[in-house]
Amino acid sequence: MIEANDWNAGSDRSSGARSLIALRGVSRIYDGGAIAALRNVDLQIREGDCVAVVGASGSGKSSLVNILCGIDYPSSGHVIWEGRPIRTKRDWVRLRRLRIGIVFQEFNLIPTLTALENVELALLGRGLSAKHRYTRAGMVLGRVGLDHRPHHLVTRLSGGERQRVAIARAIVSEPKLLLADEPTGNLDSASAVKIADLLFELREMTGMTLILVTHDDMLAARCNRQVRLRDGIVVEDTLQALISGTLVARSKA
Amino acid sequence: MNLVSLALRNLKRRPTRTCLSVLGIGLAVGSALALIALSRSIHDSTREAMREIGDDLVVMQKGASDIFGGFIPEQTIERIAAIPGIIRVSGELVAFVPGSIANTGLTFGWPDASYLWKKVPLRDGRVPGNGERHVAVLGDTAAALLGKKLNDELDLFGETFRVVGIAGYASIINRGLVLVPLADLQEASYRPRQVTVAHVNVEHGDDPVELGRIQREIETVGNVVAAPASEVLDHDRNFTILGAVALAVAIIAVVMSALNVLTALVITTQERTREIGIFAAIGWSNGRIVKSIVIEGMLMCVIGCGVGVLLSYLAAYAFPRVPTIGHLISFRPSVGLIAPVILAAIVLCGLGALLPAWRAVRMLPAEALRRM
Repeated sequence: MIEANDWNAGSDRSSGARSLIALRGVSRIYDGGAIAALRNVDLQIREGDCVAVVGASGSGKSSLVNILCGIDYPSSGHVIWEGRPIRTKRDWVRLRRLRIGIVFQEFNLIPTLTALENVELALLGRGLSAKHRYTRAGMVLGRVGLDHRPHHLVTRLSGGERQRVAIARAIVSEPKLLLADEPTGNLDSASAVKIADLLFELREMTGMTLILVTHDDMLAARCNRQVRLRDGIVVEDTLQALISGTLVARSKA
Repeated sequence: MNLVSLALRNLKRRPTRTCLSVLGIGLAVGSALALIALSRSIHDSTREAMREIGDDLVVMQKGASDIFGGFIPEQTIERIAAIPGIIRVSGELVAFVPGSIANTGLTFGWPDASYLWKKVPLRDGRVPGNGERHVAVLGDTAAALLGKKLNDELDLFGETFRVVGIAGYASIINRGLVLVPLADLQEASYRPRQVTVAHVNVEHGDDPVELGRIQREIETVGNVVAAPASEVLDHDRNFTILGAVALAVAIIAVVMSALNVLTALVITTQERTREIGIFAAIGWSNGRIVKSIVIEGMLMCVIGCGVGVLLSYLAAYAFPRVPTIGHLISFRPSVGLIAPVILAAIVLCGLGALLPAWRAVRMLPAEALRRM
């Protein structure tokens, strides 16, 4: 706990923004040590940040995102949410229900349900009436530009439309953190641009924190911070560079 | 939308998977019901046949291994008839019909004046008259199988009998009976002045104390035992063996059906591992995920049980129409059988959905999402 507060306090001193989520010494090992997806990663994400996580295939980007949303656990190290280490599965379930939205490259929608029902799923178990859930899911679908096809099965929607449904499902709980793992990876270029625009628009409108995993340098450049991974290690973080002056120095040069 | 409507939507929109799973459960439940009912049917059919023909008490030879294995002298019948409280007694000689009509089952020989003749539910013709020889009354199934009608001739034990009546018994065994005068059957089977069992009608047959007294008095007559018609089979060695076989068949049926139900549900749930990962990723608790899977499993189970009961009734309807065996055995799944089988199916379906769901929610969501 003391370590967490220290970490948090450090972030406040450096930037003035509150730390939303942080990794402290996180490693992720698979196959009994044969594969190290992440090695001793320290990373702090502040409230309102827009962070692009970039790197080659196999660099550990998806492992990082999975650990940031608790759908995978670190082999060692801690994840800290708003200054408090997350220790239990129950904590993670609560965070994903209320505070963290996830958008996947493969959409991960329930194929037997309609667009509206997929969005409504994320509201089940929150003590809302059926009518309220229905209205809210419809409203959020409208926000992502799908108000004309709420009752279509998701299998009958285009890739871009499916990703809009996934985004609507991720933001319907008004999360503080939106994690998007290669959200444009399965889309044609026109749809990819629209989805990217939508994500940035939503972030602008809501002020939520966005962590975007991408291969696309142009897309990464639209974020105000880039974190580059190589072989499970953070090799570049533009925020840290800015703080330590190297980026300023580089830009002056 | 709630968990039940979510499950219903899932079932409706995956018709192939739903139909196959429901069919799997239905076949398991249906075959369990049919096989258990069938395994009981021989015992039940015989008991029903005894009840239909017999009376308050059935007397058989003491120490006889089975009901048809003993013989009682006709003089003993006369002594039993003299016991106070007994209204009437009739001897009965039983023989298996030999030769080409073996499939029809049993031949009963009754004395000319036996009250059992008066109880024959004649559908056509008449019963043998006093002193009439070489005549027979056929059960309707026996008549149909033999292709005989009134006044046709019938070859029995090497003698020619004339069909004088067709009986319309209800029990499947009695419908295959051949009834002849006792003297004819005694002569044909070389059992002069002997019967196999005696049927006894008691004045106060509904009084268990009186029935017990008469039962004990009959047994003092010598070398015979008496038992109510419904209990007489309990002392029969052949039926004890049949009972054991029936139980073994029932156990195999139940185990196979249980495995089928479990397999259907386990496969259905395992196919949904990725979906379970999605539920976890959007913040569903383990309890909610398990509940949703179990609700879906139970819905399939309820529909499957309905299908199973329907199938078992269809089998019960179709089975008696199967040539060569259909006339020997009939079965009908009773409520007393359906209730425990359905209860067992519901428990198994609950477990079949619960166990893989519980295993899946213990998996890391990231791992579940990687599953195809």
